[in-house]
Amino acid sequence: MQNPYIPIPVEVIKIVTEVDTKDIKTFRFGFQKKEDEEAFRYLPGQFAELSIFGKGESPIGIASSPTQPGYIEFTVQKAGVVTSTLHELEEGAVMGVRGPLGNSWPIDYLAGKNIVIVGGGFAFTTLRSLINYMIDEKNRSRFGKITVIYGARNPGLLIYKDELAAWAKRDDLSLNVTVDKGDADWKGREGFVPTVCREVAPSSENAVTVICGPPIMIRFTLPVFFELGFSKENIITSLEMRMKCGIGKCGRCNVGEKYVCKDGPVFSLAELDKLTKEY
Amino acid sequence: MEKRLIKKETLAGIVGELAGKMRVCAPMKAEDQVLFRVLEAGEKPLVDFANTKNAPKNFFFPRTETMMKYTRTGKGMVLAAEETDGGQTLLFGVRPCDARSFTLLDMLFDQEKYRDPYYIDKRAKTTIVALACVHPPYTTCFCTSVGGSPVSSEGVDLLLTDLGEEVLAEFLTPKGEALLSAFGGSPAGEGAEKKKEEIAARAAGEITSRIPAREIKPILDTHFEDPFWNTLHQKCLACGTCTYLCPTCHCFDISDEMKRNDGIRIRNWDSCMFPMFTKETSGHNPRPSQKERWRQRVMHKFRYYVDNFNAIACVGCGRCVMACPVNLDIRKVVADIAKL
Repeated sequence: MQNPYIPIPVEVIKIVTEVDTKDIKTFRFGFQKKEDEEAFRYLPGQFAELSIFGKGESPIGIASSPTQPGYIEFTVQKAGVVTSTLHELEEGAVMGVRGPLGNSWPIDYLAGKNIVIVGGGFAFTTLRSLINYMIDEKNRSRFGKITVIYGARNPGLLIYKDELAAWAKRDDLSLNVTVDKGDADWKGREGFVPTVCREVAPSSENAVTVICGPPIMIRFTLPVFFELGFSKENIITSLEMRMKCGIGKCGRCNVGEKYVCKDGPVFSLAELDKLTKEY
Repeated sequence: MEKRLIKKETLAGIVGELAGKMRVCAPMKAEDQVLFRVLEAGEKPLVDFANTKNAPKNFFFPRTETMMKYTRTGKGMVLAAEETDGGQTLLFGVRPCDARSFTLLDMLFDQEKYRDPYYIDKRAKTTIVALACVHPPYTTCFCTSVGGSPVSSEGVDLLLTDLGEEVLAEFLTPKGEALLSAFGGSPAGEGAEKKKEEIAARAAGEITSRIPAREIKPILDTHFEDPFWNTLHQKCLACGTCTYLCPTCHCFDISDEMKRNDGIRIRNWDSCMFPMFTKETSGHNPRPSQKERWRQRVMHKFRYYVDNFNAIACVGCGRCVMACPVNLDIRKVVADIAKL
């Protein structure tokens, strides 16, 4: 019987410090065994338990896209015991990954529609996965117009800066990056994400919005999308809860009868409306 | 199905003899309590007792369990060994309510997509010999309200019913039938069958705690926000005893322990009654007070488990009622919810 609690051995092959405060890093892992790489089939929106023996595990969204073979990436903020240990690792270190876990962004539902991506702060990770998945040359024709609205508190806190620059040059993606407050060098947009959503005003015609960010951002962004005519079925987000097992057994991440680890983390607003308000 | 009659006075001796051939766990006196423990060869178990203090879920889902071992290398920690359990076990003297709890736990640990190898392995290697409750042992028993009965055979491989001088042995499964030669006895006829039915009817009648457990699901569906929850938890001490003694509570924590260069990843029982259970690294806690935790416990057993598995996650053993230091009584909680 396959044991879902045993982590897959991986090696840290690249570390990128994403922000000026240095507490958010992207870790690229290579699989130590070819068969593990083949078995690790995932879709954007899924997560995995990053597993450091002696410290514990931490559930983190997968930031790379399945269209980028050979490795997986996770963007991690230094916060607790596991993530702090992770932040001290160097390239070449070995550790574990358990996954992929959870459902994913509803790729088949998104296909054929215009997609509006809204991200705030460092909750942009699985959205980055989705963007890279959709703009991959094999996939781009499956999706309509792609609009991205991404905000951070200040320019130094924007993650994936190189990719943002590359996306800005594309003509098949409309990128709107904003910061709450710019600095002397900032030439881009200033303003909170909900405000920018209202200014960009993406059409709700045959469109789905995928939103991920801090609760305060989501609370003020949702009314904008209601005004724009998006139905609750077409507003999709991802939940976070404290997790341990990641496979719906240990009993702590449920919202109503759904386990965020196994039945989520991705839910539409229509689905969330049916659940208890306990997250 | 094979049915036999066994002389009652020989029963404990048969089990004691089996203990010389395989691992047998059975109810034994421990100070003023009755607890399951491994029998020595020839040691006779209790056959007349009420119920064990602890639920027997411990045998498949131990209070603390090593999941894997690892060791330090130059590049980091690596897996050294995956833990698996030992051999065959005979679990003797399980009460029908507790045996039913195994079928409820199976629903969770043995799902199609994610199978829990630690639980499943031990479960597969264990034979359950249950003792029907000829006289329901406690006034707090309420198995008949949650789908069970004093003679329920759910989750049982070999069911023993005390008919007086003799014990009716029903070999219900292949695992149970494997014990045929050890238990011996003579073929049971219709008389024994009839006597068992009479005893079963009388025993069920003796259970006077009756609660509307199966009626509250639709009420819970619509009363997540209700003033009822504001006061229910107020005397709760958050000790977690109810969940530790519960035969169906299955929540656990996973943690790591290191000594020099070697370590283990273990899982320990956890409890929805504890604040840390859902507290996130950020400090946010979706269940910030005992109110939400009590609501979770009730909802999980009587609503969410029904949604997910079409079964109530309570077997009516009454342990939580008996052990609660402040006399919070799940029977009253259910009855009160039915009036909402």
